Formats: sequence, structure tokens, C-alpha cells
Amino acid sequence: MSLIFLKNIYKIYNVGGEEVRALDGVDLTIKENEYLAIMGPSGSGKSTLMNMVGCLDTPSSGDYEFEGEKVHNMDDNQLASIRNRKIGFVFQTFNLLPKATAQHNVEIPLVYANIKREKRLKMASNALASVGLDDRMHHKPNELSGGQRQRVAIARALVNNPSLILADEPTGNLDSKSGQEIMNIFDTLHQNGNTIVLVTHEDSIASHANRTIRLFDGKIIEDVAK
Amino acid sequence: MFSLFIENIKISVSSVLSNMTRSLLTALGVVIGILAVTLMGTLISGLDQSFEKSMEFLGKDVLYIRKFQWFGNKDWWEIRNRPNIQTKHSETIRNKSQYAKYVAPVAEWWTSVKKGDENVSGVRVSGTTEEFAMITIAEVDKGRFFSRAENRSGARVAIIGKDISDALFQDKNSLGERIRIGSYNFRVIGEMEKQGKFLGMFSLDNQVIIPIGAHQRLFSRRGWTGINVKVDEADLDNATEELTALMRQVRRLRPSDEDNFAINRQDPFKEQYAMIKIAIGGTGLFITILSLVVGGIGIANIMFVSVKERTKEIGTRKALGATSKMILFQFLMESVIICLFGGLIGLGLAYGGSLIINSFFPSEMPFGLALAALGLSMIVGIVSGLAPSYKAAKLNPIDALRYE
Repeated sequence: MSLIFLKNIYKIYNVGGEEVRALDGVDLTIKENEYLAIMGPSGSGKSTLMNMVGCLDTPSSGDYEFEGEKVHNMDDNQLASIRNRKIGFVFQTFNLLPKATAQHNVEIPLVYANIKREKRLKMASNALASVGLDDRMHHKPNELSGGQRQRVAIARALVNNPSLILADEPTGNLDSKSGQEIMNIFDTLHQNGNTIVLVTHEDSIASHANRTIRLFDGKIIEDVAK
Repeated sequence: MFSLFIENIKISVSSVLSNMTRSLLTALGVVIGILAVTLMGTLISGLDQSFEKSMEFLGKDVLYIRKFQWFGNKDWWEIRNRPNIQTKHSETIRNKSQYAKYVAPVAEWWTSVKKGDENVSGVRVSGTTEEFAMITIAEVDKGRFFSRAENRSGARVAIIGKDISDALFQDKNSLGERIRIGSYNFRVIGEMEKQGKFLGMFSLDNQVIIPIGAHQRLFSRRGWTGINVKVDEADLDNATEELTALMRQVRRLRPSDEDNFAINRQDPFKEQYAMIKIAIGGTGLFITILSLVVGGIGIANIMFVSVKERTKEIGTRKALGATSKMILFQFLMESVIICLFGGLIGLGLAYGGSLIINSFFPSEMPFGLALAALGLSMIVGIVSGLAPSYKAAKLNPIDALRYE
């Protein structure tokens, strides 16, 4: 069964009276437990596609279904809800709250899901344990290394058992050793049955995935499965 | 939704606390506003209490025939030449007035009172008749008031006020003891209860009361004189008219002459007091509103800065599933908490201030006003936080995430 189904997606901006087609008729289907890398030069539309897949944005035209839910005509609240329940985000810059502990950072999606405190604390600890940070739960981001911060962010993405993990250049701000650790975690997550979409411009990172698509000028120009 | 509410409060509190200096400076306007409104309330409540007590001393149902109008607008040289009130006219009034229930002439003079080496100077020495006891609200605490017979015979007996008994006798028994009033010996036969200060100006307890006969013989015609008349409260106006007519009669005034005496009562005090109260209240309210408005603008400003600084956080929170409403609520809560924080500091300072006020005259911080003040700071928080919070809520998550 397809997890994500994009058909004939257009995203058109008007910049200074000029029409910019960030996405120009994209069709994309992602199945459960796929490990997909989205590649492309800057301006190719890969960020727009990622925002679209991540339900941060809606298309100008076209159909988008996420597990059968029609995303393309959802309002902001519905989008927030689907992001909260079904998508885990991992950002290049980690985007942790600097004043909150690792555990509290991981709790945030659960707070918005309105889950009770005791349950939240337990789920957050479990998620942190699954990325090997059980001993760093009460540390704040500035007391953690870059790799550890990104692992906290992965724990945060995992904590609500999402259908899709969406990672935007997850190793972009890390040294190669930490980057390798992070990619190992993604590999393990994939082996455990998670669906992962990576946005990257590095071939070495994309090589972890078992399917790679390339974008150029808002169109998918290549779609290779390993 | 409740756990989100609690969580939001925690987020806001920690955010306010982690920017302690900034929050404090921001809240300053609210601090001053709340301080002003509560101190004003405390002051007014204290003034009310002390005013009520002073008015009790004057009595609602007592008319005071005096040379001067208490709150007159006549020029002083006109009234200076008025004749003094003659105490003997109290007899005429008692005999002729329908409304007078009790009539007491009063003559006052200030002198020192001694007992052995102890000396109190500037004591008010009131000479009056036994009917004074029926007119004044103050009670004889120990001993008794002088009798009609003692008054008639001009006996040298005195009822002393609390200040005098404290200074001359401390805890010892004063009754039957001899004291010197001016240069004359008197026997203490009673002590008045403690009355406190009149409008916070002078002590009502710094006095001795003696029979008017003795007063006039010993202290001659110095000091001032007057006649106090107790009537039924309902008859105040009629009694004022009647007394005016009687006084004009005994003074043989022609119809064209103006009154050369005054019939006073407590009402004009109340009018004056109401005006003072409006002045204090108005000033306090003006300061309050001004500082709350300025403070509110400051808070709105700092909240805009905070929203700007935390654009990325807002983007992240939205990506993680926060709805616009939740973001709105988070920032609104933060603004409210800054204001409540300022309100609490203001209340704390006001409490300290009320203790200082309390050392001048009895007062208390009105609890209802304190609550209202906190409510007011919350409203300031909501109003000034609304625009920044709305801006935060409306941020597009994609732009916010990209913000550096």
C-alpha cells in the first residue's frame, strides 16, 4: 500500500510579476518502509517538495494523499494535526529549544498531541534510549555534542511513532564521524520498518537510501531504485 | 487541552525567568501602575477610617455654636470683630429651644498639667457642665464625670484624658490624686477613654475637663468659648434655624444685620473630605492609567522582539504539530505572566508602603483592590500581548523554519 501519493503537483509562486514554478507537475508515490533520498541542486524544488511531503505546504494544484487522507485541501489546523500524528521532522540545524532538557525537547510533539505528563515522560525516555542517549536525558542542548543534539532531534521525530520520518540534510552541520553515526541510526530505523525520506545533496548520504530521485527545475528527472 | 495549558504556563514562566532582567524592566510600568492603585486604595481606606472616627467625635447630631464658621468663605477681618460666644447663653438656649436635648457651654484654654516632677504642656483644658457627658461620644473610662452640684459649686475636680494619665500616672491609680492645672490644684475624679487623633492633626486625649465655673474663675476669659447642642438627627436643619433665631435674639441683631456667630456641624467636613478623596483618587487613577498604558506599550514592544527572536522556535513548534491557536496562546500567556509578575511585585511594594502608611494612621490594604489590581495586570498582559502573539501565530512555518 502506498503511504504517500502525489499526483500532478504544481507549486507556483508569483515573484515580482513573474511566474516561478517551484514544482512543475510532480508525480511521486512512496510506499511503506521505503528509504528514499531526494536530491537536486539548489533551486531545483527539492525543498518545496520536502515541505509538500511534510505537510508544511499545500500545492497550487494537484492531489496529495497521505495514508488515504487528502492533504491538498486541508486547512492549517488539519495540517498541524497530520504533522503531529504522522510525520517526524529532523532538521539540518537540529532546531532544539536551547533552554529545555533533552527529555523536554523530545516531549514537545506529545504536548501538542495532548498526552498526559507521566506517559509523555515515559515515551520521551524510551525514544531517547532508542538513540542511545539514556544517560543524557536531563542535559540541555549546549551540554551536548552536535551528533548528540541531532540524536535528540531524531528521538523527537520518533517519539510519536510517525508513519514517515522526514530528514532535511540531517548531517549537514556535523563532522563526518558524527554524520556516519546519524546515518547508522537512520539505517537501523529503516530496518525496523520505518519509512524515511532524506533530502540531501551529498551522494554519500543518498547512497544509504534504496531509492533516489533527482529534481531539476521543479521536475523529477531521475528515479532510481537500488 | 488542560495539559497543554499547564505546559504553556511552564514554557512561559521559564521563558520569563530566563530573561529575568528584561522581564523586570519590561514589567516596571505595570509595577508602578499596580503600586499606585493599591497605595491609593490603602491611603483612602486609612483616611476613611480615621475620618469616620473623627466624625464620630463631632457627632452627627450635635450643633456647635461658635464665633467662626468651620469652613467659611468670609474674610477673616470681618469675623475677627465678632463678639465671643457667651457661655451664659446656654441657659437661654436650654430654656427656649424646642429641639435642644442637651446644651453644654464649652470654654477652652491651653496650659500645662503637672504631677510632682512630671509635666505635660499644651494641654487642652475644657471647662463645661455635666451635660457635656451626654453630648460627647467619648465615655468615662475610670471614675466618673463631675456632678451638677460640683459644677454649680465650681469644685476643683478634673477628668483627665488618656495622654495625661499615661504621662503623669503611667499604670498607677489616678483617681483621687491631686494634679496642678496651670497653677491651681485639682483632684482627679475620672479618666476619659482613648479617642485618638482628630483627622490625624491633634490628639483628643491631650485634655482635661473641669467644671466651667472653675474654668472661668481661674482661667478668666482667655481661650475660646462655644456652646454644644445635641438634638435629634432628624431635626438638624430645624434646630439650626431655631438656634440661629435664638442667637440673633439674645444678640439683639436687627433684621438687616448679618449673623455674627456660626452654627457648625459635621457636614462641611464631609464635603471637604469628599473633595480630598476625589483629588487623591483622581491623582492615583491618573498615575495608574498612565503607567499601565506606557507599561503595556513596553510589553507589546518586548513581545514583538521576543517573537522575532524566536521565529525559528515558532517554526519548529509548528512543524512538530502546534496549531496557530496554541502558538497564540503560548505568547499571550507569556505576556500575561510578565504582567502578573509585575503586578505581584507592585503588590509586594504596596504592602510595604501600606505598612509605612499604617504607622501614620490605621489603614489596611483593601484585599478586593489587590485582587482587582492583579486582574488589571492580567488585562494589560492580554491587551498588549495580543498583537505580537497574533503575529507569532500567523507565521508561515516554512518561512519561520528558514529564518536565521
